[in-house]
Amino acid sequence: MISRRNLLQGLAVGAGAALGAPILPQRLLASPTPNATPKRIIFFMQNQGFDPKTCIPAGMKHSGSLGKAKLPEPISALEPYKDRLHIINGLHGMHTSPSHSAFFGALGGYRGSDGVPPSASTIDYELSKALPQTLLPHLCIGMDSIENMKTKPTIATLSASGAGSPIFMHSNPNHLYQMLYGGISSGEIRRQHEARSSVLSQVELLAASKGQSLPPSDQQRYGQYVQGFQDVNGLRDRLDTVSDHLRKFAPKVDERYSNPEFETDWHDRLLDLGISALSSGITNTLTIGSGRGEIFGAWKGLGIEQQGHNLGHMDQPDNPIWIKIRQYNSRMLVRIMEKLDSVPEGSGTMMDNTLIVYTSNNADKQHTNGANWPVMLLGNLDGAFKSGCFTQVEGKRPINALYTSLLRAAGQNIDRFNMDDKMAKKYDDSNGPLKEVLA
Amino acid sequence: MWKQSPTSRCRLLTSLFVLLSLGSVAQAETYTPGQPIDQDYSAMAETFLADYCIDCHGESDPEGDLSLENLGPVDDINASVWTSVWAQVSLQEMPPPDMSQPEVIERLKFSDWIVDELSRALKDKGGFHAHRDPNKGNFLNHDLLFGSLPDGIELQPTSSPARIWRVTPQEHITRLNELINTEPDYDPSKPGLRTHGDAVPTNHGGELKLYFGVDRIIKWQGGTVAYATSVKSVPAVLSTARDHGLENYPDFYTVNSAEATQIMGIASDIIRYMAEGPLSIAEPYQITDDPNSIADKMKGDLRGLPTSLVYSTEVMRPLTPVYDLFEAEEINEANEQAAVDFLFEALTFRPPSKAESDTYVEIVDQSIEKLGKKDGAVLGLSAIFLDRDALFRPELVESGEPDSHGRVMLQDWELGLAVNHALRYLQPDDALRRAIVDGRMRTRDDVKREVVRMLEDDSIRKPRILRFFREYFGYDLAGYICKDTRALGETGVNNKGVAHYNAMFDATASTDRLIEMILAEDTEVLKRLLTTDKVVAGKYDNTYFGKQRSREEMAASVAAEKAAAKKAAIELAAWKKANPEKEPPGKKNAPKKPKVNHAVTEAKLNGPDIYARVSRRSFGRGSMKPERVLATAPEGERLGILTHPSWLVSHSDAMDNHAIRRGRWIQERLIGGAIPDVPITVDAMLPDEPRTTLRERMRVTREEYCWTCHRKMDPLGLPFEMYNHAGLYRETEHRQPVDTTGEIIDSGDPTLDGKVANAIELIQRLAESERAEQVFVRHAFRFWMGRNETLNDAPVLQAAHQAYRDNNGSMKALLVSLLTSDAFLYRTRSETNANTVN
Repeated sequence: MISRRNLLQGLAVGAGAALGAPILPQRLLASPTPNATPKRIIFFMQNQGFDPKTCIPAGMKHSGSLGKAKLPEPISALEPYKDRLHIINGLHGMHTSPSHSAFFGALGGYRGSDGVPPSASTIDYELSKALPQTLLPHLCIGMDSIENMKTKPTIATLSASGAGSPIFMHSNPNHLYQMLYGGISSGEIRRQHEARSSVLSQVELLAASKGQSLPPSDQQRYGQYVQGFQDVNGLRDRLDTVSDHLRKFAPKVDERYSNPEFETDWHDRLLDLGISALSSGITNTLTIGSGRGEIFGAWKGLGIEQQGHNLGHMDQPDNPIWIKIRQYNSRMLVRIMEKLDSVPEGSGTMMDNTLIVYTSNNADKQHTNGANWPVMLLGNLDGAFKSGCFTQVEGKRPINALYTSLLRAAGQNIDRFNMDDKMAKKYDDSNGPLKEVLA
Repeated sequence: MWKQSPTSRCRLLTSLFVLLSLGSVAQAETYTPGQPIDQDYSAMAETFLADYCIDCHGESDPEGDLSLENLGPVDDINASVWTSVWAQVSLQEMPPPDMSQPEVIERLKFSDWIVDELSRALKDKGGFHAHRDPNKGNFLNHDLLFGSLPDGIELQPTSSPARIWRVTPQEHITRLNELINTEPDYDPSKPGLRTHGDAVPTNHGGELKLYFGVDRIIKWQGGTVAYATSVKSVPAVLSTARDHGLENYPDFYTVNSAEATQIMGIASDIIRYMAEGPLSIAEPYQITDDPNSIADKMKGDLRGLPTSLVYSTEVMRPLTPVYDLFEAEEINEANEQAAVDFLFEALTFRPPSKAESDTYVEIVDQSIEKLGKKDGAVLGLSAIFLDRDALFRPELVESGEPDSHGRVMLQDWELGLAVNHALRYLQPDDALRRAIVDGRMRTRDDVKREVVRMLEDDSIRKPRILRFFREYFGYDLAGYICKDTRALGETGVNNKGVAHYNAMFDATASTDRLIEMILAEDTEVLKRLLTTDKVVAGKYDNTYFGKQRSREEMAASVAAEKAAAKKAAIELAAWKKANPEKEPPGKKNAPKKPKVNHAVTEAKLNGPDIYARVSRRSFGRGSMKPERVLATAPEGERLGILTHPSWLVSHSDAMDNHAIRRGRWIQERLIGGAIPDVPITVDAMLPDEPRTTLRERMRVTREEYCWTCHRKMDPLGLPFEMYNHAGLYRETEHRQPVDTTGEIIDSGDPTLDGKVANAIELIQRLAESERAEQVFVRHAFRFWMGRNETLNDAPVLQAAHQAYRDNNGSMKALLVSLLTSDAFLYRTRSETNANTVN
């Protein structure tokens, strides 16, 4: 009943989840293999909206090359990477109810709201299944105020593996480091890792011993429970076997892990961990929730004293606060690209096989009906996407169409994502992927 | 696919000839339900297909383009065709009525044989489970269960398979909630309020969550969303496919590794909260009864931050041996063991064995050794949350002697917990626990004693009973039905923001309460649920129970408002003229006039104040409120909960009513019929024709290919067109009188069959039906046994229905009968008995 693939996916969705399988670990790291080019996708979801004026070069009203355009101040850090950039304006998410955040609906392309459980899986999860397999197919990190990240180190607001199945995001870099690199760590993290490993091993033994006397039909069902622990525990061994490899990529633990001055210290370290999970090949899909899908968040480390909801009540264009936040985002995007550029893969680098999707879980602003949902793509996923250009989408196309394009590029032959024909009649003028973005 | 053949008298004659020639064989057959059919393809299937199917489904020009000529033995390639054959034969759709029919036993045997063969063929391909699906329970002919059986059928004493049940998300959250929150005691003067023992309800947005410390929050900064963001909460980890119908057969679920690792994470949060209370999630200064005293700390915009909350100093959480362990100056074996044993029983509902206790104490010891007292104890105790019995409830009958039929009766903890689980989400109460420990949970009388005791005591909350009604009626999905904003606006209700969804979650809680009130009276329960004129109403319900106005009525309402305004303006002008330089009376501080909703004639729902069970504060001032009134529905417009918005909207879609789903509900839950799965070749779409009635767009289902199944649904669902898709009563649709006619066709009870003028007439007819009552009993059986009924269960079902009838439609009597039946008490460890369809 359960397939190996499903099992791996199931494991990936848990906070602190890890997995293992009787598959050679090297094979599961995203190093080139004869049959499948490793590919990876990063979603960067900034909360409070993404105003198109903060990304579309002045005077640019029609689709065209970005070659001669000058990027606006908030994203000026991306100027050197313009040839990889694709700014998309004019998608909509009116069906997602994005005012105050569409929550799961932002990546799911369906109605979401505060306290509303996901009604289907989200695009990041679906891509993690479709892309060439890695040890940990999907990793979610969330950035927020330091108080929120400490009090609620894991929350689930953006990603889901199915209806009613939220995926937790990590916000405490110490926990995430322990999960990814506990085996090669030292000191306190090592002690925590070993103690947890020991308990989980004993839990596995107990679970297995209580499954021996079950009737045959239940053994298979209960077996999945036991198998889960075997895989969690097995992952440590497999990560150990590639520890030399991982050491090359694991970030150095500094005092800001345990003693952050500002929340941005943790934001930066979470990003480092996310990048390392991609560059080491542990994962193929990274979701970054800056503001964790909600309408609060803080960036005091950037010198922004105001926090939370008020940030969403201000116009973003020409606003010094939002310029700082967007510039910070842009620098993060550059860090991702620089790191992936530095890792050879095939005849090029990892970045050649990567796509970054930058947008907001709030469409264009905090109080919005979602009529415009700007998106930036960076990279081209091994030539699958156009880059170096601006696209003004013609007609009414939902964000689901972009997600369909992503799945197409990942090899899935689908025409729609999370949108039935009835909905499509109302919300989509066309069918299939967003042709403007596919190469 | 399986069109009725109007043709070929010669085919009929041929079949009759074959039947007559086999008649003597068929008559001599005997059949014991549940026994494997020890015959191969050629002996069993080839003959049956040749006798009853090949005539029409032969090689040349087969009906429905389906040839069974060369179908061959069941394998994984032809499994889908065989599944269809199984469905059609079991449902007696095939052979068609004008063709020769197999004897009852012949049909049952063939159906069993297909199930056996599909199970075998698909064993390594994910298995065959369709026959265990509760939506397929009605594949077993109703008249065989409640009528007299033909000669040759020999029933076996029934039992259920030995098994483990994964706990449901509600049960799991309720268990965890018990560890960190103290719920109020039952108050007989306010029986609707949520109290200790009730399920943890979903929050304002419909999400099932565990909240930390909200019972101590006395102040917060910001509004609704700020509150929701700053409080600590974790969503339910265990998943359930949320859909229509019964949700929780043991067969359905396991715990995957992602869920297990999340439970481990939540466990440490819970243990820390058990030990430290709000201090585990807040700064010490935040705990004060005088928020003003910390004004200096609460300066600035803290909205959405955990530090924006103020907690009272009163300790609300239960103080348990886990608290004692963390408070103790030193850790020793005694306080470790006390904490382990307490937590084990709180999570598994039974005390640990000595070996279990020792094992967990050792895990705690080792963890403390590695991480120190606090972190070590948290980690070590977390392991108990992942014990098999904290997530699965066993009914394994590992001890006890089988009777002559191979059945073993549940006893002691397994029996006690089965009885407890039948009604409750909490641990066994003291009386039941004592009975288990003292060896007084071993007989049918023991079970009856405890069930009766619990049923008679209102202070013992029984959320499982309400859960059954939620799953049976399916009225609790309304808030999850995503509505198109414009289409919703056209119904007359508020389509702004989340107003409608909030109203629907409130409506679910209201319907819960109405059901509980009818259960409290315990007389003619099903009939009253179907025909009550009572409404538990909240603040939105005057609109939702109102009437959608016709265009002319709307115009008249607009005109009346304008005329009133004009009149008021004239009067005001006259007054001003008469009283120059004076302020008109009542103008100052006059409340803003509410906006008139011209689209709806509101109901006037008034009555005594009552309460509904709602979640803890989850959304600041926007949280759900318990206040309701018990009112009477507008006469002639509503009848019972099938006409309440909660049910109607649960059976609607984004744009309109869902007449097919409503009809299917009536067919399956009251008439006892079943619908086979939609053939994959069917493109099940209604045409998109704006400004056209649903009835008109459903003309496509009347094509012969579709009508075989849709005749069982559409004429039962279309009478509900007297309501729009937000549940408002209406008399017109697109400026025409709305057509609310329907029909009950071939129900199996000729007195039920016939045309109906509208939903009210349909419901009245069904509410009087004994057959509907029996079908209700079948569903109760499924819910409480966790499996579909088999023919061997016929005596149990008949006895349960008899008990219900003998006690004037008492749910309590029905429950006592079911919970003291062999099906509930006995388990069989072999796989072959008791668990096939027929």
